[in-house]
Amino acid sequence: MKQVAGLISTYSSDEFGICSALYELGGMVVMHDASGCNSTYTTHDEPRWYEVDSMIYISAISEMEAIMGDDDKLIGDLVETAGELHPGFIAVVGAPIPYMIGTDLGAIAAITEKRTGIPCFGFSANGMQNYTKGISMALEKIVERFCIREIAGTKNLSVNIIGATPLDFSVNGSVDSIKEWIQEQGMEVGACFAMGSTMEEIEKAGQARVNLVVSYGGLAAAKKLKEIFGTPYVVGVPLGKAFAEYLGNAVKKAAETGECVIGYRDADICGEETVTGSLKSLAVIGESVYSASLAAAIRMECGIDARVFCPLDTEPELLREGDLLTPEEDDLMEHLPEAEGVIADPLYRPLCSENIKFYPLPHEAFSGRIYDAVNPDLVNRELRKVEVREC
Amino acid sequence: MLKLAIYGKGGIGKSTTTSNLAAAFAVLGKKVIQIGCDPKADSTINLLGGNPVKPVMNYLREYDEEPERIDQIAKEGFGGVLCIETGGPTPGLGCAGRGIITTFSLLEDLELFETYQPDVVLYDVLGDVVCGGFAAPIREGYASGILIVTSGEKMALYAANNINTAVNNFEDRGYASVKGIILNRRDVENEEEKVREFAEKNGLEIVADIPRSQDIIRFEDRGMTVIEGDVNLPVSRKYLELAKRLLEE
Repeated sequence: MKQVAGLISTYSSDEFGICSALYELGGMVVMHDASGCNSTYTTHDEPRWYEVDSMIYISAISEMEAIMGDDDKLIGDLVETAGELHPGFIAVVGAPIPYMIGTDLGAIAAITEKRTGIPCFGFSANGMQNYTKGISMALEKIVERFCIREIAGTKNLSVNIIGATPLDFSVNGSVDSIKEWIQEQGMEVGACFAMGSTMEEIEKAGQARVNLVVSYGGLAAAKKLKEIFGTPYVVGVPLGKAFAEYLGNAVKKAAETGECVIGYRDADICGEETVTGSLKSLAVIGESVYSASLAAAIRMECGIDARVFCPLDTEPELLREGDLLTPEEDDLMEHLPEAEGVIADPLYRPLCSENIKFYPLPHEAFSGRIYDAVNPDLVNRELRKVEVREC
Repeated sequence: MLKLAIYGKGGIGKSTTTSNLAAAFAVLGKKVIQIGCDPKADSTINLLGGNPVKPVMNYLREYDEEPERIDQIAKEGFGGVLCIETGGPTPGLGCAGRGIITTFSLLEDLELFETYQPDVVLYDVLGDVVCGGFAAPIREGYASGILIVTSGEKMALYAANNINTAVNNFEDRGYASVKGIILNRRDVENEEEKVREFAEKNGLEIVADIPRSQDIIRFEDRGMTVIEGDVNLPVSRKYLELAKRLLEE
C-alpha cells in the first residue's frame, strides 16, 4: 500500500529538522502550530534539550485564528517576545495548519523584521516532508543571511562541516571525531553547521577552502557557499579507516582543483576479506550521505558488496548505481531479500526475515533517543573493531 | 518580465479581458503565459479554440501524482500563449484556495519561468480575495501589479472596492499593488462617471475603457478571442493599446 508504514516507524518531519539545525545558533525558533504535545519538537528527538539552552516556542494557533487568518496575533507575540529575549534571529516555522490555510510566513517574517530590527525568516515546513528538507532549508537560509560576503580565504587548508545535526549523528562523539579526523589529515577545522560552532564562526564560513557535506541536509547550504564564495564541496562522512583516508585525499584534491566531488562515488571493493567470512552483500538503510559513506567504508575495508536503500529525500547524484531510493515500506520489503545482511535502525528489524543477518545502527531521526546509549561512533574507526551492540 | 494579476467581480469579464490581453501581447511579439486561478478552469478556453487544457488539480486527481513535465499541464494557444489552469477540487469538497497555492508551488518545482522564459505572465483570479489562496498570485515573487476589472454596475464597483481594500491591507507585506482599473462597459447609465468617481476616490487610474461589443461574444462562440478573430476591430485595438501601455510602463 502506498505511503503506509505498517511495520516500521516514520522519520522526523521537516519542522524537527529546522529546530535541530538552528538549535545552537542563538535564534528564537517559533513553530506556528496548535498547542498540545509540544515536546515532540524538542525532547523526543532532541538529545541536547536537557543540557543546552535554546529558544524554541510554539505559537499555539487557535481554531479562530486559523479561520480568520489572524496573523497579527502571531506578529505581536513575536515582536513582544523578541523584545524580552533579544535573539540573534527569529525563525517562524510552518506546520500543517498554516500550510493548509496558506499562511504567508515570508510576509510575516518581513513585517516582524521591520518592527524588531532582528533578522527574521519564515520556513514553509508542513509536517509532511521529512527532516532532511528542514535541515536543508534552515542551513541554506543561515548561509544566505549570515555568512559575511567580503572575507578572505584562509592560508591553510580549512574545512567546514556542513549538515551535522543530532538527528543524523546523535550526540555520541561522531561530530567531534570528524573534527579530530580533519586535524589528523593536517587540515584545519572551520565552522560546523550546526553542532559545536558559534554564530560568529558560522558567519566566517566563507573563508574555508573546502566544505565537507556530511548529510543531504547540508547539500543546499554547500551549494549556496559554492555560489557565493566559489568554495568546492566534498560529500561524505569519514567512516571506517580506509574510506576516511580516501575521503581525506578527496578533500585535499578538491582544495587544489576547486571541483566538487561525491567522495564515495568511486570507492569500490579493494580486498577480498569479509567481516564474517561468509557475507557477500549488505544493504545499508538510512540517510543518503551517511549510508553511502558507510557502504563505501564496508566495501573498501571488508570487501563486501554494500549498497544503500534510502527512504529519505536526497538527490540521485548522491547515490550510486544499484542503490535504491524509495520511501515505501513495501518496496524495501521487496528488495531487502537481495542482500544477505542489513545495517539499519533497530526499528527496521520487522522488515527483515530470519534469513537476513541484521546489524542494528540507531538513527535518531527514526527511533529518537531510545538507543542513544548504544549508538556507535564509526568515524575514522576500523569497522572490524566496532562492537555491534544488541538493541 | 511583466507579471500581472487580474481581479474583479464574478462574471464581469475577467477571463475575456485576460485572454484578449494575452492575445494582444502575443500579437505584439511577446512570449506570454496565462494562468487561470479559478476552480471553473475556463480562463484560457478562448485562446485554445474551445479545446481546454487539463487543469493541474484534475491531473493530480486523475493520476494521484505530480506531473513531471510542463507539457502535461499546459497547452499552447493562439499566438503561442502558454495556457495553464489551476482548476480545483471536486465542487463542494476540499479547499480551492489551497489548490492555487499547491499549483504555484508545483509550477516553481517544474521551473516554469526558468524553462519557458516568458515576457509576460497573466494570472486570472477568481472573483474576490476570499482567502489566503486567492491572494497567492499577488504575493512576493508572483504578480507585481494588479488590474481590477469593473463596470459601472453597483455590485461590480462594490467588489472592486473590496479587492482594492484587501490589497491595501497587504501594503506592509511587500505584495503587488493595484496598477489600475479596466472599465469593461455594460452600458449602464453614467457608467464612465461612476467608475471614474471610484477610481479617483481610491487614487487609481482607468488604464483601459473597453466598449461593450457583440464582436467579443461572436468570436467567443467560435472559441477565440476578438484579437484572434479580427485584430482590426475597434475593440481589438483597445486591447492592443492596453497591452502597449502596460509594456511601456
